[in-house]
Amino acid sequence: MTDNLTVFIVDDDPAVRDALGLLLGIHDYRLAVFADADSFLKAFKPHWHGCLLLDIRMPGMDGLTLQKRLLELGSDLPVVIMTGHGDVDSAREAFRALAVDFLEKPLDESRLLAAISEAFARQRKIADAALNRDQVQRLLDGLTQREKEVMERVVAGRHNREIAAELAISPRTVEVHKARMMDKLGVGSVAELVRLSLG
Amino acid sequence: MHKHLLSLGFIGLYIALDAASFIHPLHGLNITPWNPAPALGLVYLLRQGTTARPVLVLAVLLSEYLVRGVPFPWWNSLLSALILAVGYLLLSEALRRRMSPTTLLDDRAALLGWMVPVVLGTLLNSVVYLTSLHLLGLLPSGGWLTGVLQFWVGDAVGITVAMPLFWWLSGERGRLALGSALLCWETLGYSLLGLLALGIAFGLGGDGGFKLFYFLFLPIVWASARQGMAGAIVSATLLQVGVIAAVQVLDFSAVTVAELQMLAVVMALIGFFIGGVVDEQRRTSGELRQTLRLAAAGEMAGALAHELNQPLTAMGAYASAYDALQARGETGARLDAAINGMRAEARRAGDVVRRLRDFFRTGATKLEMVALRQIIEAAAEHYKTKAQQTEIQFLVAEVPEIMLLADQLQLEVVLRNLLSNAFEAVAVADVTGRQVSIHAERLPGERVIICVEDSGAGLTSQDAERAFESFYSSKSSGMGLGLVISRAIAETHGGSLWGEVADHGVFKLVLPIQESPKTPTS
Repeated sequence: MTDNLTVFIVDDDPAVRDALGLLLGIHDYRLAVFADADSFLKAFKPHWHGCLLLDIRMPGMDGLTLQKRLLELGSDLPVVIMTGHGDVDSAREAFRALAVDFLEKPLDESRLLAAISEAFARQRKIADAALNRDQVQRLLDGLTQREKEVMERVVAGRHNREIAAELAISPRTVEVHKARMMDKLGVGSVAELVRLSLG
Repeated sequence: MHKHLLSLGFIGLYIALDAASFIHPLHGLNITPWNPAPALGLVYLLRQGTTARPVLVLAVLLSEYLVRGVPFPWWNSLLSALILAVGYLLLSEALRRRMSPTTLLDDRAALLGWMVPVVLGTLLNSVVYLTSLHLLGLLPSGGWLTGVLQFWVGDAVGITVAMPLFWWLSGERGRLALGSALLCWETLGYSLLGLLALGIAFGLGGDGGFKLFYFLFLPIVWASARQGMAGAIVSATLLQVGVIAAVQVLDFSAVTVAELQMLAVVMALIGFFIGGVVDEQRRTSGELRQTLRLAAAGEMAGALAHELNQPLTAMGAYASAYDALQARGETGARLDAAINGMRAEARRAGDVVRRLRDFFRTGATKLEMVALRQIIEAAAEHYKTKAQQTEIQFLVAEVPEIMLLADQLQLEVVLRNLLSNAFEAVAVADVTGRQVSIHAERLPGERVIICVEDSGAGLTSQDAERAFESFYSSKSSGMGLGLVISRAIAETHGGSLWGEVADHGVFKLVLPIQESPKTPTS
């Protein structure tokens, strides 16, 4: 649990918050606990990573509404719903809003821990993908205008001769640009280049 | 043996009725303006089935012989009586399909289904009977049309007015309902009014075309509006007997009597229809209450799940934490926290169960006469000591002398719930002069209002709307259920419960005052 992931708990019941806090604390999770949806939403920061354990039925804003509001805010914090009233409608709504799991109270410890680790895995994957996207963007930003033009056409499957004709330069120059472009992006083959460009 | 006795009894009663109603006979024949004996015959046929047919025929024949004597030639008279008896048999077959043994004719559809065959059947019977009399030469020439009309009026009125009475008397449910209607003081009231109305109609109205006959509507409408079909039957019977007694005493002509009988039958029918509508409406409101109770039970089950899930969830998590700590061999504050948490949550789950059991224990509503003072004192008792301990001023105002027809336990639960909410509201508020009060006062229209007020924050308009939805609670671990059940109980008692938007807590419970027991609604 060293990669800065936190379990956020939103439940209106103080005893449930306390007990979950104790249990997850023993399992060495970092915790943040909120008594209702509004106070979580007020405190929420986009860079929060980890997962959100969310009760549905609470005074004020209910859990499913909070889940949707977070989605609208562009949050990628994975959500695990916990509820005492697991009906099909609310489960459907939760999963449509990309919930990781839908747990019924009273909670089963192993399922809870499994759901948290799944949520964390999803969070890491999202973070990795975001990181990857950032790196690719940085590499692409390092290309010259001409190299970008050549890259687009190579990825589109054109031959050097065709590219040369389109850009009105010699095939030899095309080869030079192509070699420098592939070197900058760190790819060894056209296939790798295509994969990278697909992100 | 029992069956034979019943047959004998029926024949005796039939002949007695026929003899009693053999007034103003046309041409000395069985043509009278009031003929209730066939009503008895039809009820007997409908209740006893096919085996009753020969008994009815025997009764009609015997009655013809005993009441009117046998003129010469005897076979003519026998034949006409047989034709009449067959007519009644056919009418009973027409009615059999529409009158199930359990019906009490106390809704509009059943009344119509009974009345239409009676009116049309008696007309047909009258035509056939009078034609046969005519063909047998028993009827003077030119008397056919008058005879048909007279006979029809006598039969139709006799059956319409008397058959519901006999039908009710022949079934246990009807007997019970009639009995409880008769034992009511109101019955004496409308009977006296009926006598008065008869006196006015026949005494003051005199021969001037019975201008004041409409006074007789008053007792019928009173009886049927208050007691439903039972009241309508009692009042229609009394009225019929009264009218017949009056015309006998005053010695009216047969034609006038027939006209009066037409008026009497219209009044009886109006009474039956009002009574039917009143009974239908009472049944519907009874069903509605039942539905409300079921809805409340559904809410209760949902709330039970919610209220128990929270402590169970916490308990489960504490237990898991305890296991994890044990596995590490850890002893100390965290282990204690897990154990104490489990204990506290077990107590909380127990509290939930106890509070729910209070509601469940009330079970089916059991109404009895109980003094409002008794209910309020019982509910307030517990909070008096609580008030002293918590330094909350608790005022119980003098309760007016009011009797309610109510389930004491259920109303106590409602008041305890309101008081419990009030005490929690003032306990939270950090105001000086914490106060809870309960007082009751009479409202116009036989109602009483009971107000529970507290010096807490009061309801916002949003709270007031949602406070009665289950699961909504201003308390984080409260019973969102209490007010829902309380309102269902109030409504079962024909009352209402609501919270007012105010700067302090105000809940009002209105209940109907009932000084005497109502007639049972089916």
